[in-house]
Amino acid sequence: MSPAFEAFLARLYVDRSARARFLADPNREAAAAGLTGAELAAAARIDRAGLELAARSFERKRREPKWLAHPVARWWRSRRSGN
Amino acid sequence: MRDRVGLTWHPLLAASILAERERVDLVEVIPEGTFLESRRAQPALRRLALEIPVAIHGVSLGLASTTPVDQRRLDQFARLIDSVRAECWSEHLAFVRAGGVELGHLAAPSRTDTTIDATAANLRRAAQTIGAYPLVENVATIIEPPGSDYDEETWLSRLLATTNSDLLLDLHNLYANGRNFGFDSAAVLRSIPPDRIRVIHLAGGTNVHSSSGEERWLDDHLHDVPDPVYELLEIVGECVPHPVDVVLERDGAFPPFRELLAQLDRARTALAAGRMRRTAT
Repeated sequence: MSPAFEAFLARLYVDRSARARFLADPNREAAAAGLTGAELAAAARIDRAGLELAARSFERKRREPKWLAHPVARWWRSRRSGN
Repeated sequence: MRDRVGLTWHPLLAASILAERERVDLVEVIPEGTFLESRRAQPALRRLALEIPVAIHGVSLGLASTTPVDQRRLDQFARLIDSVRAECWSEHLAFVRAGGVELGHLAAPSRTDTTIDATAANLRRAAQTIGAYPLVENVATIIEPPGSDYDEETWLSRLLATTNSDLLLDLHNLYANGRNFGFDSAAVLRSIPPDRIRVIHLAGGTNVHSSSGEERWLDDHLHDVPDPVYELLEIVGECVPHPVDVVLERDGAFPPFRELLAQLDRARTALAAGRMRRTAT
């Protein structure tokens, strides 16, 4: 698979609107990303339940960088926001 | 030489690890977010490495990618590993960015000849910069990697045949993928060349559900190690001829430290049971 295919997957994993467009019309979104032939077919066969769960997992990880997940950082942020 | 059993380093566990030093043989440190970026933090890690064996475990290089690994990031790792005098270093068989998009986590690559060749090239470049090949870790995936030509077992064996990197075998990742995609994780474990297995990871996870109701097992490092993973560890003890390091990964939802120590003891027991079977045959 090409760097273009990897970039396409990365966008599907993190970009909610790109994912929604893809799920509505996989071929169109994949073709718009420049995929052709076998990559286009691979995109169309994607594991949809897995895509949803992977995207959810990536979003949770991105939302809270490691250092922010530290309890002391959480406590400090709650103090600053007055919660 | 003997098998060693330890933990992933975490600030909340630091005092307990040092207090129970005789029961924790080594620690594995994820350098991103602290030690890698901050030169002021590195003396603390150097001091730690004088107290207990330290292994560096990267999460951000994205070595299993068709994109060449970032030289600036490799240089950072080289400086840190040299400064700390870590016993070894490791990274994941994952991509973490592509096309300008940062995933913020590990994604399994498409299992193809292209990704095998690109990963091998990245591993060579990493070894040239750092002076040693990393151990490479099999990753858990909740999505069947799109665009794959091979199953996990074939991709991994072909990659190992192509590179000098040995394997950091994450038994929970193997268990999770087997459970999610219907393969026998014990059979895959037995298919891996035992002389290439150097370090073992243990962890826990939980079930998650898609909106269509499909269930998958998520490797979250927030739960205790499930029983089948200890059974896989017994197989490691039986099959691998040399001493291995076993690291329990726990990133949060920490139980009392004595419970983590009990999990380390259970790992020692499982490994010893496998060693006994090996001796008997």
